[in-house]
Amino acid sequence: MQVDLMEENSIQRFKIVGEIDAFTAPKLKEKLDATEMTEGMRAELDLSDVNYMDSTGLGVFVGFYKSVSAVNGHLQITGVNARLKRLFEITGLGDVMDIVSEESGDKDAAL
Amino acid sequence: MPQEIGKQYKELLRQYLNGQNEKDLYYGQQFSRQFIEKNIAPEDVIGIHQKALSEVLPELTSTVEHSFDFLIEMMIHYGLALQEHQSLIRKQEELQLEMNVATKVQDTLLKTEQPNFKGIDIGMVSVPAKEMNGDYVYFLNDGGTEACVAVADVMGKGIPAALCMSMIKFGMDGLKGTNKHPRKVLNIVNRIVEKSVDDSMFISMFYGQYDPSDSSFSYASAGHEPALMYDASKNAFTELNAKGLLLGVQKEVLFEEHSVVLDDGDFVAIMTDGVTEARTDNGFIEEELIQTLLLEERASCAQVMADKVYSRLLEMQNFHLRDDFTLVIFKKDPKKV
Amino acid sequence: MEFRSSVDIYTEWDIVAARQLGRNEAKKAGFGTVDQARITTAISELARNIYLYAGKGKIEIERFEESGLNGIAIIASDDGPGIPDARKVMEDGFSTSGGLGAGMPGVKRLMDEFKLETEVGEGTKITATKWLR
Repeated sequence: MQVDLMEENSIQRFKIVGEIDAFTAPKLKEKLDATEMTEGMRAELDLSDVNYMDSTGLGVFVGFYKSVSAVNGHLQITGVNARLKRLFEITGLGDVMDIVSEESGDKDAAL
Repeated sequence: MPQEIGKQYKELLRQYLNGQNEKDLYYGQQFSRQFIEKNIAPEDVIGIHQKALSEVLPELTSTVEHSFDFLIEMMIHYGLALQEHQSLIRKQEELQLEMNVATKVQDTLLKTEQPNFKGIDIGMVSVPAKEMNGDYVYFLNDGGTEACVAVADVMGKGIPAALCMSMIKFGMDGLKGTNKHPRKVLNIVNRIVEKSVDDSMFISMFYGQYDPSDSSFSYASAGHEPALMYDASKNAFTELNAKGLLLGVQKEVLFEEHSVVLDDGDFVAIMTDGVTEARTDNGFIEEELIQTLLLEERASCAQVMADKVYSRLLEMQNFHLRDDFTLVIFKKDPKKV
Repeated sequence: MEFRSSVDIYTEWDIVAARQLGRNEAKKAGFGTVDQARITTAISELARNIYLYAGKGKIEIERFEESGLNGIAIIASDDGPGIPDARKVMEDGFSTSGGLGAGMPGVKRLMDEFKLETEVGEGTKITATKWLR
C-alpha cells in the first residue's frame, strides 16, 4: 500500500494505492493522523486504486471522518468501486459520509 | 568443558589443514552444532580458533595472531545480538502462554447459552482467524418466551477486539427482563459503544428476535452484513436488509426494524464478513455460493448446516482463514422439540 | 588487594582512553583475549552513554582479589539527568544509544554482576563486575 498526499485548491487529497487490510491499515492511520486539523478543512481520500479493503480500513476512515468533522471540516471519499460502495452502503457510512463512486463520478451520498 | 571443546576443535583443525579434505569440513560442520548446543558465543569460537591455530602452527607470525583480536572485537556485538534474540524468543513464548490464558478467559467470560425451543432449530459456528475472536454471538432468551440473537463483528481482530466484546456482553446482559425489540437493543448498545470506544474502532451488529407465538423473526442491523432468509415454499433466498449505521460512529442513530414470518423449512442465516468476504485463489466468493452450500444441506439440522458451510468454505480457502468466521442459523422445524 | 584508576570522560577520545585502561587492567588480572574484548566493549558502552547523555563523567577501573577470586569492576558515574524509566532501559529490544548500541542488557551480559543506581536530576552510577574463572 502506498499513500500520497497532494494539496490542490486547499483540499488535502490522499491518493491510496494497493490493499488496505489489518497489516497496512496502521500505516494509513499513521499518515492520516499526521494531517494538521484546521477549522473548516477539506480533505479527500481517493480510493480509485484500492483493490482490496476490509473492515480495518473502514475503521481508519471512520476515525479520520470523526476528526475532520470535529473541526467542522468536510471529508469526501472518491473513486469507490462497486465492491467498496456496497461496503459503505451496508455499514450505513454512505449516509453520513460523502462518497463518490467510480463509475458515475456523481455524488451519491444521499443514496 | 571449554578446554575439552578446544582440544577437539584443535584436532579437527589440524586434520583439515593437513589434507584439506571435504570429509574434515563435514566433521567440522557436525562439530559446530556443539557450539550452539552449549551456548558458546561467536567471539568464543574465534578465541578457540585463535588458540588452536597458534598451537597447530607455532611458527605463525604475531601479526596474524593479532588479527584475531580484531576479529573478536568484531564478533562481540554479534554475540550480544544473538543473546538478545534468544531472550526475545523466550519472551515471545511467555506472551504466547499468556495469550492462551486470555483466550480461555474470553471463552468463559463471553459464554452464551444457545436457546432450546420447540419448533426452532438453532446452529452456529464462530471461529477466530487469530487467537482471539473479533466476532461475537450472544443469545438472550430469558423466560423462554422469545429467542434473541446478536451477531457482532468488532473491527479489527485480536486483543483490542476481544476487550471491546466484553463491553457489548455486559451491555446486553443489562437487558435481561426488559423488552428486547431489535431497534431498542441496538440503540442502547450504540450508546454504550459510542461513549466508550476509541475513534477508529467500531462494531457492526445484526440483531434478531424470534417470537414462537407467531413464528415472526424481527430484526435490525447496525451496519452489518444482511442476513439471508430462505423461503422453502418458493425455494428462494432473500436478503434481510435493514438500514442502520455501525455502532460507535454517532450518538443518535435511526435503526430500521423489519419482520418476517418463518414457515416450516424456512431458515435465516446470519453471518459476518468473514463468510461473505472469503477469498479463494480465484478472488472473492460469490454470494450465490453461500446460498448453494446452504441449499445442499437444508435437510440437515441447523448445526450440521453451519458446520458444513464452514468446512466447505475453509477448504476452498486452502484452510487459511483471513478473517473471523461466524455463521448462525435459525431454522423453523416442526420436528424440533 | 585493590588497584583503582580512572579516566574522566569529556570527549569521544576519552572513551578510547578508558578502553585502553580497562584492557591493560584486564590483561594484568589474567583475563584471556575474548574476555578482554568483552570488558572493553562494556567500558565502551558505559563511557559512550556518559558522553552522549550526561556530557561528562568518570570511568573507574578496579582490579581486586577477594578470597582468592580475581576480578575487575567498572564503575561508571556521572551527574547527568539520570534515567527516568530504569526498568525500560534494562529491557531487551530497548537501546537508548540508538543504532547498534548494546545497551544496558548488553553490558549486563558481557559482565557477571551489574548494579544500576540512578536518580532523576542527580545522576547515574553503574557498577559492572567480571570474575576470573
